[in-house]
Amino acid sequence: MVGLSVGETNFIRGGIAQDLRCDGRKRLSYRPIHIDTGVIPQANGSARVRIGGTDVIASVKAELGRPNSAQPGKGKVSIHIDCSATAAPIFQGKGGEALSTELAADLQRCLLGGKSGAGAGIDLSSLSIVEGKVCWDLYLDGLVVSSDGNMLDALGAAIKAALSNTGLPKVNVIAADATSSGDQPEVDVSDEEFLQFDTSAVPVIVTLTKVGKHYIVDATEEEESQMSSAMSISINRKGLICGLTKRGGAGVDPSIVLDMISVAKNVSENFINVLDSEIAAAEAREEE
Amino acid sequence: MEFVSPEGLRLDGRRPLEMRQLRAEIGAVSKADGSAVFEMGNTKVIAAVYGPREVENRAQQMNDQALVRCEYTMANFSTGDRVRKPKGDRRSTEISMVIRQTMEACIMTHLMPRSQIDIFVQVLQADGGTRSACINAATLALADAGIPMRDLVTSCSAGYLNTTPLLDLNYVEDSAGGPDVTVGYLPKLDKVTLLQMDSKLPLDTFESVMQLAIEGCKAVANYLREVLLENTKQLEYRRGS
Repeated sequence: MVGLSVGETNFIRGGIAQDLRCDGRKRLSYRPIHIDTGVIPQANGSARVRIGGTDVIASVKAELGRPNSAQPGKGKVSIHIDCSATAAPIFQGKGGEALSTELAADLQRCLLGGKSGAGAGIDLSSLSIVEGKVCWDLYLDGLVVSSDGNMLDALGAAIKAALSNTGLPKVNVIAADATSSGDQPEVDVSDEEFLQFDTSAVPVIVTLTKVGKHYIVDATEEEESQMSSAMSISINRKGLICGLTKRGGAGVDPSIVLDMISVAKNVSENFINVLDSEIAAAEAREEE
Repeated sequence: MEFVSPEGLRLDGRRPLEMRQLRAEIGAVSKADGSAVFEMGNTKVIAAVYGPREVENRAQQMNDQALVRCEYTMANFSTGDRVRKPKGDRRSTEISMVIRQTMEACIMTHLMPRSQIDIFVQVLQADGGTRSACINAATLALADAGIPMRDLVTSCSAGYLNTTPLLDLNYVEDSAGGPDVTVGYLPKLDKVTLLQMDSKLPLDTFESVMQLAIEGCKAVANYLREVLLENTKQLEYRRGS
């Protein structure tokens, strides 16, 4: 983990209090973001997002499956995160499992809404092919290659970029009304026509890390080691909150929570625009 | 199945004695002491090196040499079909061990007693020859970390299908069931440090296939040397001398 001396700790804390962080940023500014799409050719969609020293890869794989009997008109999405040992030696063996599970659960909360699927950032009904019979199962895999803080925001951005890079093959239903009710309808998966996945509603995740009296966005690993608590808020383009997670041991005053949310909302507008333009630039580069 | 067409071309359009496109990049993981990305065609791996540093588990500490450890992991999305594998299955444990032994043979461990060097390799895309790609990536990462080595150990595989020796098998050729010879080689010292083969092969054919793999290792070594030289030039340039 991060080993910091008393002097370094004071320097980081003092810098945050004076709105000038160690790398010259202000409290509410991000490190440079770089996105590449289509990095994994075997996947339906993939993206690599680098925010400063944090480097994550997300891939989307789609398989045909059976919808859940409780939600016949909806597809299924599952999120799985892996923290590679290349990011930090403590992740070797089963060391990264706890963090991976926590990150996956946070992302699930932020992107997929409640258990009933209500309020999901990803439109699950668009994944349905034949109601109650066939749907797309999306597997979202994230891999943390290098970690320098703010992994959740980076993973959220990578998943958003990977989804907008995703093309689902067009599926033609040949025999929709199969003879007996138990039969699976025959489908033909086209390998020429692809449908672009609509990602306009996919939220971004903004994590505000509280250090001392102030909170910062896009904390580095050193800054994260000084946090008292952190709030991850997922916000979509319309400015609606899609999910919220609080981490860290210290309690937060309820009025500060509301303040953090409104700050996150302001930050997210800019962040979404930056992400969208980076994603568009990456897609354009890939097509060249 | 026909792996070499009558015109002498393989499934992916290569000649039998042709390697896949190599690409290497140094410094992919900013927090690590040394790191590298290595690509052989569609196979892509990342290696990161941490150390030499204090030994974590005191019981493993050695007073006359450094402890070298290695972990090999495959990303969920690295293969064509998505399969969830638990960490530390038998295959990856075996490959971890192979990489560790190969790297240990070229690191000058006696110069760093009572310390530990961790090598982590992560497969991002698997298309045959992950073992070789991991060793090549690990070599680059070790060189980037500035760890003293006897030589740049490189690795390459060769096979024998349709009575033709083939260099650098891809996944389809690898799973064809023919022999697959993986060689780890120290080019300057002219020594083989790793040799693995499955399936069976007549002795005189084996010799030519192994020789082919060694030629592949030499080609990889030349490329790695170029990449390292270029990287060093960049570093020198940035220092401004």
